[in-house]
Amino acid sequence: MKKKKRMNVQKKVFYLLLILVILLGALNILKARGLFIPEQPLVYFTAKVIDLDSLTLEQKIAQMVIVAGAKENYWPWKNMQLGGIHLFARQNEHIFNNTIIDFQNEMPIPFFVTADLEGCVSPFGFIREFTAASEVNTTEQAFEKGIDEGKFLQKLGFNLNFAPVVDLDDDIWKCRTFPGDEHRIAELAEAYIVGLQAEGVIGTAKHYPGKTLVVKDPHKFVVQAEIGKNDVYPYEYLLDQGEVKAIMVSHIITSGEIVSEGVPSVASKKVVDDLRKDFDGLIITDEIHMLGLKRFYLTVDEMYVGVFKAGNDIVLNFDNNPNEIYRMIQVVKAAVERGEIPETQIDASVKRILEAKGFTVIS
Amino acid sequence: MMVSKRTLFIVNISLGLLLTLLLLTFFEVKLPTLGQAQYLLDKEEPLCAVSWKEEFTVWDDLDRCCLEARKQLECRREQQGDFDWACSTGAGMKYWLNSKAYNYCRQQPYW
Repeated sequence: MKKKKRMNVQKKVFYLLLILVILLGALNILKARGLFIPEQPLVYFTAKVIDLDSLTLEQKIAQMVIVAGAKENYWPWKNMQLGGIHLFARQNEHIFNNTIIDFQNEMPIPFFVTADLEGCVSPFGFIREFTAASEVNTTEQAFEKGIDEGKFLQKLGFNLNFAPVVDLDDDIWKCRTFPGDEHRIAELAEAYIVGLQAEGVIGTAKHYPGKTLVVKDPHKFVVQAEIGKNDVYPYEYLLDQGEVKAIMVSHIITSGEIVSEGVPSVASKKVVDDLRKDFDGLIITDEIHMLGLKRFYLTVDEMYVGVFKAGNDIVLNFDNNPNEIYRMIQVVKAAVERGEIPETQIDASVKRILEAKGFTVIS
Repeated sequence: MMVSKRTLFIVNISLGLLLTLLLLTFFEVKLPTLGQAQYLLDKEEPLCAVSWKEEFTVWDDLDRCCLEARKQLECRREQQGDFDWACSTGAGMKYWLNSKAYNYCRQQPYW
């Protein structure tokens, strides 16, 4: 009798545990898919005119984030109304095109859809080959390359390309930079950007302030470089010409012509502020999950605040976990609310982003 | 179906452990994973290299290498010298990783 009673208790425990495991398993799946992230309120605007005050602080910060455009994160990225998605390689044009259509569908503010199409570095290797920057010799060729890549990207639905590289040397890939000295590189980059942007795709000069593709990293974590006048020349030239609409800043700690004061350039207020003096386009961070940047901070939260506080308009965070992206937005929001990051700075960045997306911004 | 008391006891203990793990996951308590242990136990140096056309360059910046490898369409086992994995998209650029580097890359949040 006692034995039977104990067996019954065991059975009850079994059913209870089984139900709890199934429930918690389901909750974990839903959480991993970002389904507990609250949906942002709808954005209302007419004739592409947006009142900045109609956006919540969360919506504004979300506009400043570009994430990896993985299909499994389709809902959380849309719910958070993020600024953009970056697409890695896919098998064919059809998949690229459908992914972009699905993401853009019913988005009040469309995503920036970004790629790293430089020529030899390309996510479209299965579809077609492009001329490497190192194989371009004349401004006509650079312009044609811009037109060709711009047409291709535009057709698929991309609107922002993280190219051209205007570093002077490339010791690693040996194909990502244009040939010649800083003057030649600047002219070729300018021609490429004009061609690319003529097709409706924004070009990004990278990686400010230079020496990204040559620095060897013996300690694996902290990368430092002495920046010369010639490294910065392509940026000065492009800013003078007024065609470049976006610049990507690297994680390198710099001295010399550009002094980042011991901080990775991307998190250096001085570097970003100095760049901003002559440039009203988009300043974009390099992807933030590099140890060179991460190891600089005690916590990831400090890093999140650091890159926003520096004055970057767009932060690239390719973390696959939607809950972490949402957490980043909350961490930055809290920093704005306690006055560590001025809201006027966030507003200025969002204004630039929305204008680059074709909106007229009022406030 | 008759299940012995002993079997039921073992099943309940297993379910209890599973429930604990699920609770920890739900509340984002991070436990060291098998992948991390494998990475730490492996005394080999992580290695990465880039190849394009005839150029083959060893690349010291492992983090950046991981990100570039992740951007490729596929990574598959391919033995070449000290390298065990090749990540590529089509016939162009290829990123080569040894097992230690590959295990490290797989732990990155963007992988």
